[in-house]
Amino acid sequence: MTSEPIIAPAMWEKPDRSIGAAEIITTPSLTYWQDVRQRLWANKPAVVSICFIVVLIFGAVFGPLISPFSYFEQNLRLSNIPPVFETYRVSDGAGEDTRFFLNASNFNLYQISEGGQVEGLLRGGRKDIIKKSQSFEFGATDIALDYSSRPARLLRADGTELRPEGWQWNMTYLFGTDQLGRDVLVRQLYGARISLLVAFVATLVNFFIGIFYGGIAGYIGGKTDAVMMRIVEIISTIPLMLYVILLMVVLDSGLISIVVAIGSVFWVDMARMVRGQILTLKQQDYVAAARTMGAGTGRILTRHLLPNSIGPILVTLTMLIPSAIFIESFMSFIGLGVTPPMASWGTLTSEAVETMRAYPHQLFFPAAAISLTMFAFNFLGDGLRDALDPRMRR
Amino acid sequence: MAGYVLQRLGQMLLTLLAIATLTFFLMHAIPGGPFVSERMLAPEIASALNDKFGLSDPIWLQYLNYLRGIVTFDLGPSFRYPGVTVNQMIADGLPVTLRTGLLAVICVVALGVPMGIVAALNRNKWPDTAVMMLATIGVAIPSYVIATLLLYVFALRLGWVPTFGLDDWRGYILPVLALSGFWVSFVARLARSSLLETFEQDYMTTARAKGLRPGQVLFKHGLRNSLIPVVTVLGPVVANLVTGSFVIEQIFALPGIGRHFVLSITNRDYTAIMGITIFYAALLMVMILIVDLLYVWLDPRIKLQKAAQ
Repeated sequence: MTSEPIIAPAMWEKPDRSIGAAEIITTPSLTYWQDVRQRLWANKPAVVSICFIVVLIFGAVFGPLISPFSYFEQNLRLSNIPPVFETYRVSDGAGEDTRFFLNASNFNLYQISEGGQVEGLLRGGRKDIIKKSQSFEFGATDIALDYSSRPARLLRADGTELRPEGWQWNMTYLFGTDQLGRDVLVRQLYGARISLLVAFVATLVNFFIGIFYGGIAGYIGGKTDAVMMRIVEIISTIPLMLYVILLMVVLDSGLISIVVAIGSVFWVDMARMVRGQILTLKQQDYVAAARTMGAGTGRILTRHLLPNSIGPILVTLTMLIPSAIFIESFMSFIGLGVTPPMASWGTLTSEAVETMRAYPHQLFFPAAAISLTMFAFNFLGDGLRDALDPRMRR
Repeated sequence: MAGYVLQRLGQMLLTLLAIATLTFFLMHAIPGGPFVSERMLAPEIASALNDKFGLSDPIWLQYLNYLRGIVTFDLGPSFRYPGVTVNQMIADGLPVTLRTGLLAVICVVALGVPMGIVAALNRNKWPDTAVMMLATIGVAIPSYVIATLLLYVFALRLGWVPTFGLDDWRGYILPVLALSGFWVSFVARLARSSLLETFEQDYMTTARAKGLRPGQVLFKHGLRNSLIPVVTVLGPVVANLVTGSFVIEQIFALPGIGRHFVLSITNRDYTAIMGITIFYAALLMVMILIVDLLYVWLDPRIKLQKAAQ
């Protein structure tokens, strides 16, 4: 039986015991936070969200400063101007051209420059109510605006229809104007300021009240815990929204009261979460070690227990921020939030609902702003959760 | 079982007492009385009104009277609408709110759970991606934005449904969709992740190994075990549907309690605000209790006494 050996002779030789290339650790070892950062940067939606939030913060802080408009300045002659329009061109016969656009919902003509800047309302002749038309004079050229049928048409003197040249973006009011002629963009940026302020307050309250309330209840335990958690239970039986509304009734609507209202009840979820974390962590040996070395309750809590639960705290925080922003805009939407003329995304949306049939742009921009912000915080929260604790990913 | 329910009811009464006290003193902390307005009342009329509504009594007496009213299910008269009691306002709005709310809960269960199942069964394939994308959108976009966009597209642009009112069944479509949008997405996500977790369990492998049909494996072993977290969130779902109705009823002009509540706030109708708040609280607590009992019934491993501690 001289068949081919199954085990080749080479395989009987001793393996090379020296450290091969495969076993050398080439990348430096990472700390926990470096690891988290790496995982977070690998998560595309989270990175995009961070960029969006940074842009939003910069826009909210510096945008209103460089804008030529203010959130309260009204210009009724330039109200309800859309962000994009179809332009027309008329020559007056003497070599001068006039560019303008027709606002199809209120039948006004607005003069615009070559660059797309809105220059003002064009004055026409008397409106002929019966024939539903209005005449406009451009030097030697007469144009009649015929709004007897929809869509409205622009007719030359010989009866032919004036054709638009093309679409152009509004360069004066990038997002158009609202029903009082205020710039939608700058009002949105003020809305972003309010939303970010509310987010900031919610963060602060969660950090200072929520974490310590939960931490103390969890660490001390016993009767203290029972009483503190019963209070939390009573608060959280009713949805937070109801408290905020009640407090707003008492405090009168306004930015300060909404901040106070959100601040006074918004720490409950965080307190619960931190208490749960502390309850498991305080059984750990390092806590016992710290106590034997004579560390006080405050030191153990702030130096040992809370830093070790920072991951879940961060995740809860990014989940709570969008809900704080949501509550503010919700309250403003039903008329309990900021007072006019202050703009918040909620008031902008509710004002736009009244005119949405004719001017959908007023609805679109605030709705997009709040939705994108909520998306960004949600994606950031998911990304942080995955980065801080990869086992939680699913 | 009975002991647990009694204990829970006792807790509920305590919480209700706390809420009633809180709202009562909050409402009385507001400067000015309910009859202070731009149009000055003659002092005699004002004091007569105050006497009629018991507002000139010492505050502790008012408080005790109010508590007695709550115990006898009498939430007092409305300060704004003469001759209308808060009980009547609630009785007016409740059917509409309950009907939309119930439809929304049905929507959450009937849409959210199947969406989660489809996503979990087709993990990382296009149905999963589509469901997750839809769910992400539903979770992120606020309900009032969804409501206004739905209104704009389906009622104004396409004209398929009426813009307001509940004259026929089509009037319910948009409010129910807007109300349940968030929770449909939330439940879809939850059902998906819970199912995926269940699929990894050993008993699922056993069920497949002993030759059960895939449908049996999914429905008898997978679904029943993975739906427990979904049932748990139904309590908060009910609570949030109720608060969600504030804005939905406002946008679609539905005559429900939420609309009464918002109106009474803008009207400064203090008794109505207090009454509806307490009614909401009681309603929510009863709903949460029901969901908790349902939970135990579905999953016998959970002991009531344990949950009570």
